[in-house]
Amino acid sequence: MHNNLGSHISRRHFLNSSSTRIGSAALATLLAQTANAREPVSLPHKPPKAKRVIWLTQAGAPSQLELFDHKPLLRDYFDKDLPDSIRQGQRLTGMTAGQARFPVCPSVYRFGQHGQSGMWLSELLPHTARIADRMCVIRSLHTEAINHDPAMTLLQTGHQIAGRPSTGAWLSYGLGSENENLPAFVVMISRPSGPTNAQPLHERMWGSGFLPPRYQGVRFSPGKDPVLFLSNPPGITTARRRAMLDDVAALNQIKLDDYQDPEIQARIDQYEMAFRIQRSVPELTDMAQESDATFDAYGPESKKPGTFAANCVLARRLVERGVRFVQLYHRGWDQHGSLPGGIKSQCYDTDQPSAALVQDLDQRGLLDDTLVVWGGEFGRTVYSQGTLTATNYGRDHHPRCFSMWMAGAGVKSGTVYGETDDFSYNIARDPVHIHDLNATVLHLLGLNHKALTYRHQGRDYRLTDVHGNVINGIIDGIIA
Amino acid sequence: MKIRCAVTHLMRCPARFFLTFMTGFATLPLWTMSVLSASDEVVQFNQDVRPILANHCYHCHGPDSQARKGGLRLDVREHAIAASDSGNFAIVPGDVQSSHLIERILSEDLSVTMPPSEIQKPLSLQQKEILKRWIEQGAEYEPHWSFMTPQLPNLPEVKEESWPENEIDKFVLARLEQEGLQPSKAAESATLIRRLSFDLTGLPPSTSDVETFEKEMNDARTHATQESAESRQEAVYLKWVNRFLDSPHYGERMAVDWLDAARYADTNGYQVDRDRQMYLWRDWVINAFNSNMPFDQMTVEQIAGDLLPNATQDQKIATGFHRNHMLNEEGGVIPEEFLAEYCADRVETTAAVWLGQTFNCTRCHDHKFDPFTQKDFYGLYAFFHNVTEKGIGNYGADIRINAPPFLKVISSEQDADLARLRREHDDAKKSLADLDAKLVAEQAAWVASLLSSELSPSEQDSNDTAKSTTLPNEIRAILNKQQPDRSEAENKKVTEFQQSVHPDHKLLSEGVAALSKQIEEADKKVPTALVMEELPTPRETRVLIRGAYDKPGDVVTAATPASLPAMSPEQPRNRLGLARWLVAPENPLTARVIVNRLWQSLFGVGLVRTAEDFGTQGEVASHPELLDWLAVEFVRSGWDIKHMLRLMTSSATYRQSSRTSAELRERDPENRLLARGPRFRLQAEFLRDQALSASGLLVPTIGGPSVKSYHPAGLYEQVTAGSGTNVYVEGTGDDLHRRSMYSYWKRSVPNPAMLVFDAPFREACTLRRPRTNTPLQALNLMNDPTYVEAARFLAERMLSEADEDLASQLSYGFRLVLSRRPTSAEQEVLTNAFHRAANDYQVDVVAAQELLAVGAKRSADNHTAVQLAAMTIVASTILNLDEAIVKE
Repeated sequence: MHNNLGSHISRRHFLNSSSTRIGSAALATLLAQTANAREPVSLPHKPPKAKRVIWLTQAGAPSQLELFDHKPLLRDYFDKDLPDSIRQGQRLTGMTAGQARFPVCPSVYRFGQHGQSGMWLSELLPHTARIADRMCVIRSLHTEAINHDPAMTLLQTGHQIAGRPSTGAWLSYGLGSENENLPAFVVMISRPSGPTNAQPLHERMWGSGFLPPRYQGVRFSPGKDPVLFLSNPPGITTARRRAMLDDVAALNQIKLDDYQDPEIQARIDQYEMAFRIQRSVPELTDMAQESDATFDAYGPESKKPGTFAANCVLARRLVERGVRFVQLYHRGWDQHGSLPGGIKSQCYDTDQPSAALVQDLDQRGLLDDTLVVWGGEFGRTVYSQGTLTATNYGRDHHPRCFSMWMAGAGVKSGTVYGETDDFSYNIARDPVHIHDLNATVLHLLGLNHKALTYRHQGRDYRLTDVHGNVINGIIDGIIA
Repeated sequence: MKIRCAVTHLMRCPARFFLTFMTGFATLPLWTMSVLSASDEVVQFNQDVRPILANHCYHCHGPDSQARKGGLRLDVREHAIAASDSGNFAIVPGDVQSSHLIERILSEDLSVTMPPSEIQKPLSLQQKEILKRWIEQGAEYEPHWSFMTPQLPNLPEVKEESWPENEIDKFVLARLEQEGLQPSKAAESATLIRRLSFDLTGLPPSTSDVETFEKEMNDARTHATQESAESRQEAVYLKWVNRFLDSPHYGERMAVDWLDAARYADTNGYQVDRDRQMYLWRDWVINAFNSNMPFDQMTVEQIAGDLLPNATQDQKIATGFHRNHMLNEEGGVIPEEFLAEYCADRVETTAAVWLGQTFNCTRCHDHKFDPFTQKDFYGLYAFFHNVTEKGIGNYGADIRINAPPFLKVISSEQDADLARLRREHDDAKKSLADLDAKLVAEQAAWVASLLSSELSPSEQDSNDTAKSTTLPNEIRAILNKQQPDRSEAENKKVTEFQQSVHPDHKLLSEGVAALSKQIEEADKKVPTALVMEELPTPRETRVLIRGAYDKPGDVVTAATPASLPAMSPEQPRNRLGLARWLVAPENPLTARVIVNRLWQSLFGVGLVRTAEDFGTQGEVASHPELLDWLAVEFVRSGWDIKHMLRLMTSSATYRQSSRTSAELRERDPENRLLARGPRFRLQAEFLRDQALSASGLLVPTIGGPSVKSYHPAGLYEQVTAGSGTNVYVEGTGDDLHRRSMYSYWKRSVPNPAMLVFDAPFREACTLRRPRTNTPLQALNLMNDPTYVEAARFLAERMLSEADEDLASQLSYGFRLVLSRRPTSAEQEVLTNAFHRAANDYQVDVVAAQELLAVGAKRSADNHTAVQLAAMTIVASTILNLDEAIVKE
């Protein structure tokens, strides 16, 4: 009756259970409880290129026109109306729907060619330009959502409406952690240093949706408690905590002997795990171990806890320790007005550390199996929101095309994928939907996006819903 | 055909369970195990065949007409046995050889084999065998069990006749006897009363309750004859069940699950996630449960209270149920898009909460597995599409408490207060008007005196108001003109100047302004609640193609799903009619779905484990007849929730000890057969409530605005827009120690201590919380100031309220949390813990003081810091025990 069994237990399950040392009986219980949920089958599905991911999420939607999507012809269109042949009656947000005209607005920033491929990049990104040969810029991303909340929810969970698991939760569920003392999925958030509008984020963006909550992202914060409730209260030393835990374990053992409930053993194990986390996290976040050269590379902000730069250093420390999915959010890209100044300050925050992270991973041999993704939830309009002058303008939300870059494991480096029209308004070639991006990321991790499923409300759900195609054009070689 | 062989009671099993096991550990729980080994066994469509067809075939050959391939439909027998587009017969009943379906599933040719390899849902050998045998046996279909109206089943015969306390036990015992299993003996009194108290009030029992209960049970037990001893014990137990059901905390406990179902929260959820006011609705729920409002009435009032004749204020507040959904206030929102979103949310929530159906699939297309169409979805949608709402939040308005429609709910004190203020305001305005009239009348004289004093200041009357006034040049210029030459505006300026220099006028107008402000402030304090309100003319509803708001299709009218019993023609085609249809006696789903969730709240898992899905993809019931019996009884009792809980908690099944053994665990790891009592972790709210209650910190006030308890600093600032309501301002005093269900619930950053114990985000309807066991939970219980402070107060109670000897103090602390005395082995661990901690803090008094400084509420000065800190360590140890974290 029970032949054909081993292969149907997920690797993650073995990892999880062996790492937390749940007794075999407890594992049996857990298994039975999740039998309905159809745990993934022997993951990953194929040998992965990437073992872990660092996702540098730029919240608020960076303008592709100022950073990655060079449109020299726009100079001739300054303050002219966006041609109807381009706009084709596409919908507008509630913020510009009442605008009398849609004046075309070229970027005030210059672009130059970089790397062996001669990739066009903005002067706002001098450091990113140094890793041009390590990255693949995708200029043809698109999404359906036109406002931040639904767009970010779609980017993170594959669906505009709240309630589905985030990418990190899917990976945590599918692949587990390689470090028994750290979570599989860590989230860090930074605020802009400049006086710019920071769009709010929601816990759901790294939530586990209908997956069990243990797969949700664990937020690391600067300060005394990088993980919530990590520190013992004042007056409780590590020795006192250890002694108390021994008492708790002794009393729980008495209970276990009486009741025989494997959950009690699991509880004992989780308390031990908590104690180990209390020791491993402070070691992880102790930046004193980093050299001056590192801080120099990541830039002046990297010594200030909680900045994007400091979080980039931490991201590297996390993947070094086997954390599967590290997600950084940097806020403040929502430049409806005063875009030239706002985006400059955002680039000050992010350009150097992002590039330094890729180089740092490279030097440490981690870039070969670590995937780095950089980008936001949608793009920005070619026409100005509000008054357009020679030096100042704003841009509204634009879901029809935007840019991101990827680097590292399995990515076809030194390339540009996709193309927009002369106005960066429509995609001209090789569109990449959010679902395609997610399918590709999973593919690089050795996962078939159609097979990583979870049964919920009678249906097998996946990150890419019923969509998504792996984009071979951004992958280096073929993954069997 | 329908005769089941001796072992078919084991055939509860969807065949998909075959493959989920591992050698070495585990066996499948018996109740889900299929043992189709002998070829004469009869295959049951609902249990064996439908799960295979639904999971592997319906995607392309099921109810969804758009997705159907090859003209083959397998979910309806008449279609399945008819010729498909190719002219082949997929199923020829009784003839496996001619059945094309069998040929296709057995084929080794990848271009022919079904299901196609690209959908990644291959059939196992066992599944193929089941399909073969089913066709061989005539390919009989059965309607899906949950769509058939439940009938009162016969009570089964049992051997151990003395065990059952009521009908529930007969069904459970009959099954156990079939399995050759014994029920467990009853739990100890202390365990039982703690279980009851948590199940019915969400709080631990007080130590005096425990003692009284134990004593009363003991007295009854020692009664002369066995029979009277039993009936006396029974009477005592029932008395306590009723006591808990009558507790005002019962309504709070029941409300917690309902708030999950209703996606209740204190903020709007999207983007900037600002506050809303909904606590009046939440309090309505508590009151409804406390007054044991029949569930059919609860349904009607929440779905359509506003449409009842002469609807009361409470009935209108009740309709907030369907305004609890998230609301987008983002600047760029397109109203139609979110109007569609809210209506869809109402359809999905209604279908899940009352019908146990997953309607979200049918928003975009016909259901792939269940007999619901996209038209059914928009039929329901039309009921909810007539609300006077805008589809966009109140973005940018000065007062952004609630988005219309909402109800102002004024208390009698507030009403009186406002009336008084308005009176005073009117009086002050009248005095001012009188003065103005007087000034006008006196104006000519005043001007004359003013001009003369300008000319000869020495001649002025010292009391004249004009004296202290320096005349502005502008006024002087006007006054120097003759009256006929002065313009209207100039005359006005003169009057204004005259008023401004009159001392009474200034006083009076300031008074009027102050009162206006007071009225405004008092008005702002009047709470509001989001409610449903019908448009005079219904909006047109169209099917939305692929669910997209900007792709309207055919017009639909309000209608209930075609595959369920029809709505009575006498009922109006509006929300009121819909609500009554949900609780109509012929509705096969609602009663089953609700009793199943009541069962889930007590036993940890429903008779149907998938409490949110009674469709074909959901699980079948572990005890189908028991579920039906309960559903029929629920309706018969007049939808009496307390009656159902009384039946369940007074069953022998419920009262069993939750001890298990290796053998029993092996047979039934999840306790689906119910050979032992329930034992599982307390839900998030009740864990914190327990610590507050045991430590004496709990402020038991019921209802009112949400409060802000302890919260890690900086948590909001990282993610929110960082201003206004997006900064967490911790409460003070009583606010810190209210029951957890009153804690402010922000959807974008829900309370982390609740989340870590599996509370949902409250963004969408949740009918079943997972129960995880993680290290982050341990960190929370050990280090959250909530629990450190509670441990200190628990310690203080141990030191102050128990006898002076250490043994009594430790035992008392144990009882406050666990309702029982420690064993000698446990007592020894605690004793050593206290002495160790005391010795330790003796040489580090500063550390002891630091520990005692955690938490806002100060302790009385009755104990030395060392003593109290050492006992706090012991108290924290007790609060962290597995037994404290679970209900057993």
